[in-house]
Amino acid sequence: MVIRKDWRYRTKQFIAYTLLIFVLTTTLFPLYIMFATSVKPEGNILPTWDSLIPKKVTLRNYVDVWKSANFDRYFLNSVIVTFSVTFLNIILDSMVAYALSRKGFKGSNFVLLIIIATMMIPAQVLMIPLFILIKKIGFYNTYWALILPFSVQGFGIFLMKQYFDGLPKSLDEAAMIDGAGDFKILFKVLFPISKPAIAVLGINTFLTTWNSFVYPLIFTNTDNMRTLPIGIAYFNTIHGIDYVHLMAGSSIATIPVIAVFLAFQKQIISGLTRGAVKE
Amino acid sequence: MVSRKKKIRNAVNIFILLSPWIASFLTFKLYPILFSFYLSFTRYNPIRGRPPRFVGLRNYHHLFSDPTFAIALKNTVLFVVITVPITTVISLLIASVLVSSLNIRGKQIFQSGYFMPVVTSMVVIATIFSYLYSPNGYLTALIKFFGADLKYGRGILADPRYALPAIMAMDIWASFGYYTILFLAGLQSIDRQIYEAAAIDGAKGFYLFRKITLPLVSPMLLFVLVINTIRSFQIFIEVYVMTQGGPLRATTTVVYYLYETGFHKMKMGYAAAMSYVLFLIILSFTIVQKLLVRYQR
Repeated sequence: MVIRKDWRYRTKQFIAYTLLIFVLTTTLFPLYIMFATSVKPEGNILPTWDSLIPKKVTLRNYVDVWKSANFDRYFLNSVIVTFSVTFLNIILDSMVAYALSRKGFKGSNFVLLIIIATMMIPAQVLMIPLFILIKKIGFYNTYWALILPFSVQGFGIFLMKQYFDGLPKSLDEAAMIDGAGDFKILFKVLFPISKPAIAVLGINTFLTTWNSFVYPLIFTNTDNMRTLPIGIAYFNTIHGIDYVHLMAGSSIATIPVIAVFLAFQKQIISGLTRGAVKE
Repeated sequence: MVSRKKKIRNAVNIFILLSPWIASFLTFKLYPILFSFYLSFTRYNPIRGRPPRFVGLRNYHHLFSDPTFAIALKNTVLFVVITVPITTVISLLIASVLVSSLNIRGKQIFQSGYFMPVVTSMVVIATIFSYLYSPNGYLTALIKFFGADLKYGRGILADPRYALPAIMAMDIWASFGYYTILFLAGLQSIDRQIYEAAAIDGAKGFYLFRKITLPLVSPMLLFVLVINTIRSFQIFIEVYVMTQGGPLRATTTVVYYLYETGFHKMKMGYAAAMSYVLFLIILSFTIVQKLLVRYQR
């Protein structure tokens, strides 16, 4: 196509850039405010042009929330829960996916159908009965409650099944002739060549678990079992106007996800659009 | 004999491979759903230590005459019918501009920037906006500049007229990047040659968008509408962190009321009934939207 460089094209381009940049600024402004406020010495948080850029930068607020507001414990809890859930999903989702993709058993389509159906159950229907169940089996206010119910998920099973379906069956057959069993085929033959799918699964599970709020809220009741989102929410209700510390706590919860996002954008976006394309 | 042994071994293996899912499905999905359904016909307060007492349809009956539930439902429906169209239009517009023939540079930067709120925890977002909407916040200063009369110098969230719209605005801000990415995926899969052929025929601008882009992107459009509607019906975290349903119930949504009923007032049977009614509402919306797709084809 011939690129027209007339004034109408230029005007349109100008309008397009103005729109995109305006929206970009609007999107980044609140996040900027969070970081900027988090490094301010206590005091000037009034909405003036002057206070947009912190004059003095201090990490004092971070030290405060980390030490005295128990954010070190929240961070540790978030790490333990997130890594356990992510690890379990990678292993367990792959096992189920392997059975569905490679074993061709009777009723496998039915299993697939149930997995789709359970993915559509809205969380609020499960809130009350899961809480009662967790209390009854003694998991209340333990890591088990934050990990076990989320250790196998439909999204991951689907993702891995799709990927395994695309790998040649001759690989398994060759391994089988060498005497390898199902687990050896799955973990020694298929796993090493499934890194892209494992990455998508791992990163997306990491993000959703790290940011998870509703279940940690209803499954825990003591301060030392709280994850970062719950810790921030409680800090908010108690010290609602202590913004410099609130923003420092929020930054602690946000820096890891932004880092992961910037490093693995491709995998995150592919994971999100995959769900959409399936429909 | 050998083949029989092999067969049994194969069956055992299949069972072991599937067992994590079977256990998780039975314990954390099937049982809770059935138990919750039963619970919705009972009166149950776990603090009292008595088992659930069967009350028939009383919970459902009560729900339809509960004025707070009516307010919660009104707020939730308002939230859905206002935010879903606005978010959809903004994200489709931005995605269209990004893939348009205007040769936008720095696509990757725009895309990453718009997506950043999506990976940020909703609690963090709600905390930042609580500050921006507070009496000392930038957004409070902004809307005062445009002539809003906030009472007694309080923040936006303390004013019943502004609180729900403020949460809506935040939700649009927080979620449009996700739908922009979905639309980008949909738009990029359209063959550019179709546009070139249409351009040769003299089609351009909005006509091109309406006659070519829209029909081709419509499966994605409907997907976006469905998932955004389902998500918006369940809005909870924002309300929990920012307003706790206030002021004067102005921001109480169905899931927030459900949480309050179940976990503060400990009326678990009533809360279970509420969750089923909301589920049915969401389901019927989804079915209507799906039927619209079929009708369009």
